[in-house]
Amino acid sequence: MTQALGWWGVPLAIAAGTLRGSIPFLFVSLGECLTEKSGKINLGLEGVLLTGAMSAYAVSYLTQEQLGSFFAPWCGVLVAALAGMALGIIQGWLCQQPRVNDVAVGIAMIIFGSGIAFFFGKPFIQPVAPRLIAFEWGNWSNLPQVQAALKVSPLFLLGALLAPLMQWFFTATRWGLLIRAVGDSPQAARAMGISVFKVRMLSIMAGSALAGIGGASLSLYYPGSWNELISSGQGLMAVALVIFAHWNPIQCFYASLLFGGSQSLGPALQSVGIDSYYYLFNAAPYILTLLIMILTCSPKTTIPGTPGALGKDNTP
Amino acid sequence: MMTPPPNLEIVHLSKHFGPLVALDHVSLRIKPGTFHALLGENGAGKSTLVKCVMGYYHPDRGDIVINGQSRTIDSPRRAHQYGVGMVYQHFTSIPAMTVAENLVLARYDRKNWLNWPQEYEALAAFLETTPFRVPLDVPVSQLAAGEKQKLEILKQLYLQSRLLILDEPTSVLTPQEADEVLGLLHQAVERGELSVLLITHKFREVTAFADEVTVLRRGAVAGQGKVADLGVADLAVMMLGEAKPPKVLNKTPWLEGETILELQDLHVLKDNGLEAVRGVSLRVGRGEIVAIAGVSGNGQKELVEVLAGQRSATGGRVTIQGQVYHATRREMLDYGVVALPEEPLRNACVPHFSVAENMALRTFDRPPQTRWGVWLILKAMRERAQELIQGFKVKTPSPETPMEQLSGGNIQRAVLARELSSPQIQLLIAANPCFGLDFAAVDYIHEQIVAARNRGVGVLLVSEDLDELLSLGDRILVISEGRLVYESPISEADLLQIGQAMAGHDHVHPQGQ
Amino acid sequence: MTFAKSLESVLIPLGAILFALVLFGLFCAFAGANPVEVYHSIYRAAFGQWSSWQNTLIRASPLMLSALCTALPARLGLVVIGNEGALVLGGLGAIIAGLSLGESLPPWGVQTAMALLGMVFGGVWIALVGFLRHYRGVNETISSLLMNYIAIALLNHLVEGPMRDPSSLNKPSTFPLAVLNRLPDLPGTRIHYGLIYGLVACILAYILIQRTPFGFAARTTGGNIRAAQMAGLPVGRLILIICFLAGSCAGLAGMVEVAAVHGRANQSLNVGYGYGGILVAFVARHNPLAAALVSVLLGGILASGGILQRVHDLPDATVLVFQGLVFLVVLFSESLYQKEGV
Repeated sequence: MTQALGWWGVPLAIAAGTLRGSIPFLFVSLGECLTEKSGKINLGLEGVLLTGAMSAYAVSYLTQEQLGSFFAPWCGVLVAALAGMALGIIQGWLCQQPRVNDVAVGIAMIIFGSGIAFFFGKPFIQPVAPRLIAFEWGNWSNLPQVQAALKVSPLFLLGALLAPLMQWFFTATRWGLLIRAVGDSPQAARAMGISVFKVRMLSIMAGSALAGIGGASLSLYYPGSWNELISSGQGLMAVALVIFAHWNPIQCFYASLLFGGSQSLGPALQSVGIDSYYYLFNAAPYILTLLIMILTCSPKTTIPGTPGALGKDNTP
Repeated sequence: MMTPPPNLEIVHLSKHFGPLVALDHVSLRIKPGTFHALLGENGAGKSTLVKCVMGYYHPDRGDIVINGQSRTIDSPRRAHQYGVGMVYQHFTSIPAMTVAENLVLARYDRKNWLNWPQEYEALAAFLETTPFRVPLDVPVSQLAAGEKQKLEILKQLYLQSRLLILDEPTSVLTPQEADEVLGLLHQAVERGELSVLLITHKFREVTAFADEVTVLRRGAVAGQGKVADLGVADLAVMMLGEAKPPKVLNKTPWLEGETILELQDLHVLKDNGLEAVRGVSLRVGRGEIVAIAGVSGNGQKELVEVLAGQRSATGGRVTIQGQVYHATRREMLDYGVVALPEEPLRNACVPHFSVAENMALRTFDRPPQTRWGVWLILKAMRERAQELIQGFKVKTPSPETPMEQLSGGNIQRAVLARELSSPQIQLLIAANPCFGLDFAAVDYIHEQIVAARNRGVGVLLVSEDLDELLSLGDRILVISEGRLVYESPISEADLLQIGQAMAGHDHVHPQGQ
Repeated sequence: MTFAKSLESVLIPLGAILFALVLFGLFCAFAGANPVEVYHSIYRAAFGQWSSWQNTLIRASPLMLSALCTALPARLGLVVIGNEGALVLGGLGAIIAGLSLGESLPPWGVQTAMALLGMVFGGVWIALVGFLRHYRGVNETISSLLMNYIAIALLNHLVEGPMRDPSSLNKPSTFPLAVLNRLPDLPGTRIHYGLIYGLVACILAYILIQRTPFGFAARTTGGNIRAAQMAGLPVGRLILIICFLAGSCAGLAGMVEVAAVHGRANQSLNVGYGYGGILVAFVARHNPLAAALVSVLLGGILASGGILQRVHDLPDATVLVFQGLVFLVVLFSESLYQKEGV
């Protein structure tokens, strides 16, 4: 079939790859966006992503008998969110201690989170767990490329809905205003009697739960298996993605599509026989992220939308 | 109509911090519908008193009586319930959020979902009931200082506070803005809608706006009464104790000399990418103090940062004695450029470095502190620091003490010692050098600046304290919205015009050479 | 430095490591292993006898060099975690030099050229991070992380494409280094000369930072960049030089791995010395001498990974969990110090 479509296979493959590949980016970047709005950077989402992927897969595998192969993966998604939240508690508490740097805590959480994921995930590398069912909107076509391009995961729809919802949350709910206040000026928030610690803790926990769901999408949808190489740094790229999206959830959605698409460049080109630069094309998301950061950052000015207190030291 | 302001009585309030007596049996009464001033020097106990009233501190002894009943106030929220609200010295609004969002956020209710069209309507209706006009949909970061101050007051009115405590509200305003804000409050007080407790150390504000005054000195009431019965001289005696002779600065007559520093059409961006300094040209001559006045946030911070090497200019030229200056270490040494910035711990020191290391920042890479260009001689650093500590009377346990453990005054003395002991200084850049320091330190630093000027050093002095500028400067300039809008020799300076220039009213005096 | 302060600077990290050990014990107990026996196994595998010491020290040397890649920029206030990338690039540089020189120079000449090219490759890689930070305002932590992935992709591309030895089937690799040119062992041991490189680099780094005007300028910049700018220090140049030195240390680690351990460049270059180095640097509070010591400790823990698997049936990720715990507890211990310390 690839032969029949020729070069038309490339954009279709990229479209299909975008829909699949953008899901983890979407959830992790929304989670990071929520966290950073409260003024803290969470680099540890990479560890959360892995833990989420492992726990979702393990729970889906273990509960398939009781819940059946439709509900078991959703139970996995739920547990992945809870596991992410648990790691978020560690991150949220530790990074708010005096003189503790949130970036350093993030690096430690990457090591710890991946350690936990690999430790408990070892027995689940072999077995096959039920995966999330996707909507197949392309069955009218008999071209597998078209079918693949129109196969949409419910998690993608959930994420696509979450982005405008989060935008609304930030502007039209009291909680959203509180988070923005804490992220922009913790001193002023404190003067208003807001508990900065609590708001940040909850934001980090909620953000980590979202990242956990992002991990579940890796192991239960695409690529749809559990192994130690399942994440290719989406948790880290989310930090750059949020900067690129100017801390706006809706722009996070568009940015996720872009990053997911760039990730499918290598496989798409390989499918038409270009594979001599396979590894370099696979590095496209990283190179893209770096280029975007080089273009958007400036040494003299801060990027519009940056929460005022982002990454600043903890004032007791 | 509105509820009337509460009747607040403070009865024999005392507060100790360890051995320090912060408040000693302080009593005062604010009758409904009065404008009461609380006057005192820094450290006289004004803040401690209002923090007790607002529930931040728990007093050791004494009562707070509201409308005839003794009350325990354990949080600002409780104070609000009794109609008492505080307007802070530092703005407490969230810069990235709009005025409307800030007002809604300040509200204590638990309304979780916000219907913005409805909220805007309610807020506009509320604004109608107040004398203040502030745009609702503009982010606070884009408001002028006066508008921010109004927003702080609006927040309290919005919370139904009827007794407003204002903590030095005019320190960041132009004289005109200050008069407008206090005037509007004064009118509201006259109509019986509000009571005001104004914390200040400016006599002018007391005599112009207050009905009654309480003067604090070292934690105790030094005088109380109706403003109409008291003169400025009485207030000064109460506030300062024995009459303090005005400090005489020995300034030698200024002679027009060669140009040390010259700025030509300087342009600088601030952090958000907007232009902060928009084409500033000026010159500083030998033995001259050029004073730059302005409300903070009008480009003076960025201007000083360019000269101190902390920011790069986007256009224009800086020359020192005719040579282009880029603020490199080499040039600083060759041309003798030193600086005395505000908040020295943040701008001029490494907080966890020792006093000796901090004092070596300008000299560590030269003999005798470095041998063969590659080896630090720690002993030489220490000896040099000991000389400077003695010479400039810096109070520190030892040269090895971390800088951050010193008091603010001693930190600035240590920086002064380091900067003024550099060989052959020609230019001193000073920015709010006395901000937040006690009287003794202020006098000392002023003396040293004038002494440097008398030796022939050119001084560029940027300050938010007009009195400081007028007493030290030889020439005064005003910066507003990134441009110099007023210039005059100190002897011909006109306060009214300076105030108008600071407020950004037309070019009062076309800047001429 | 007062007595209380120096006491604190010894007791707090020590206490942190002990506390992490306790947490790790609980974790092992939870996973069904007897903690006391696990501790004992780790000790035996790491420091129990001369042969285990040798295993430990072989792992310690790349850790020392890799740790400097984080520790040096940290003195400037930068959080650089591009250790893995610089190490991989250093390994590539070393193999390129080693293969192209062949036997045209005496072994010491080839080894020097390998070390130099490895250091230049790694140095330029991290200097690029510093350049982007200073001149473009790009966050150094994120850019260095991204560049890790790019470096690994580059390695994969080269060993599976242009530089592949067709006879390497299971694990695509470059052609092997001539046996003559491999880095020898210290006489009478299995420990290669990399250990000497690591120790010397740590000592030199310590002297550079603590006792030279260059180091003083760097520490000033890290302590308060505004004060450094006010004193006219060339912040941009300091960042570039320090980052270059940091990267070249990690590059040297890559050279050591290629020249002494694997004899060729392949996937094995990225086996966790990068993250290990970050951990060492933070535990050592970015002090190069302490980093040498901590590297030996961590080298021991890494050396015990196999035993944990064989004797206690714990997955090899156990070591990763332990590293994560130590890192978290050490970070928490930062908040216990009386005053700013680093």
